[in-house]
Amino acid sequence: MKRVVLPCNGLDKAFGVLSCELALKLCETNGAQIVCPVLLNNSPARYEKTLAESDLLVIDGCPTRCASKLANNLGLKVDDKILVSEQAKSSGLEIGDSLRPDPVGMQLVDMMINDLAARESDISTQELIPGDFESPVDFLSVTHDKFIFKIPSQGYLFSENDTWVRVIGSRARVGVTDFVQQNLTDITYFEPAQAGSQIEQFDEVGSLESGKSMTDVLSPVSGRIIAVNIRLADSPELVNEDPYGNGWIAEIELADFDSDKELLLDAQSYSRIVEKKAAEVQK
Amino acid sequence: MSKRKTIIMPCSGIGKVHGLIAREATYAAADMANAETLCLALLVSGDKDARAKIKDADCIAIDGCPKLCAAKNVEMAGGRVVKSVRVVDSFRGHRGAEPGTATALADDGWKIVREIAADIACGLGKSEVK
Ligand code: SF4
Repeated sequence: MKRVVLPCNGLDKAFGVLSCELALKLCETNGAQIVCPVLLNNSPARYEKTLAESDLLVIDGCPTRCASKLANNLGLKVDDKILVSEQAKSSGLEIGDSLRPDPVGMQLVDMMINDLAARESDISTQELIPGDFESPVDFLSVTHDKFIFKIPSQGYLFSENDTWVRVIGSRARVGVTDFVQQNLTDITYFEPAQAGSQIEQFDEVGSLESGKSMTDVLSPVSGRIIAVNIRLADSPELVNEDPYGNGWIAEIELADFDSDKELLLDAQSYSRIVEKKAAEVQK
Repeated sequence: MSKRKTIIMPCSGIGKVHGLIAREATYAAADMANAETLCLALLVSGDKDARAKIKDADCIAIDGCPKLCAAKNVEMAGGRVVKSVRVVDSFRGHRGAEPGTATALADDGWKIVREIAADIACGLGKSEVK
């Protein structure tokens, strides 16, 4: 599918300038098409056809995330996202304040282009692997006051951090439990981890934000992130609606599940933890 | 003279040489006149601080084409546009100019950038243009 890029096109911040450089370079080297954020805001109809026929990559300069907000306001389907400041942090590159991209800035742009290419191949590999990660049907329930917390009774393991993992072969899908989604209330934003990266057990695998608070999702297993649930970029509320199914957070190629398992709980043991936590939240 | 701060904002004309000229002219004019700039995308996405900032400022909008995205959006966000510059108009005095591309300006493009910036700086009483 063709790719279109929506950059924040920031002007007065070094990361915004790099977001613009990345968009231009993607156009030059990969034939992507740029969507002008301001024109899109003023006349969305102008880009309707292009957006319907292409994958949309949103590039934000800094955590203000102007481009993401715009895409969200217009209800666009976002296929992939990049936050340049975050990329600089994870790559360890020191980007100064200059609004003229220097060699270090351009090195970051090149790295991001390579990462994007790797991400694309990760996602296409993922589509080729068959797997059955349907939503669960049998649940245990923990009732506390007027709340009922559901826990799939079979096929899932849980961490004390309120995440779940479901394993099929050497792959696992991870997400947050019903307890997390009810505590956060309406989830409004999802920040995925970097697909392709290697993580240890309890490393961050994304974050969720609601009007009430923000929470980092800590992976119950170690391995390589082979896919992130990009549907959540558009519809983070899927985590509220179906936390164990369509609201999954990431897929991991397992590194050492046998030892990860030692720190995980079955549904019964996890339900006792939820009981305790629910009582504490109530205090 | 007005005590209000000046904010210069170009359109987001990314991917077009006119947009790049607007952006470069913004940097050059802001340098010469010691004025501020602001991400237009920040304003358009409804950021409260950005809106508050332009309310107390005189805004100069530099637009690449007649769609006037910058000028219109500043006004829509409640800002006061004291000067609206259209890069296309600057080409009238430079028939046959070869400004460069959307990613790199050529000599003619830089010439137009300097003209726009100098015009803005003079208007702001900063006539000792570098
Ligand atoms: S995301 Fe940051 S850099 Fe980009 S336009 Fe918004 S404020 Fe500027």
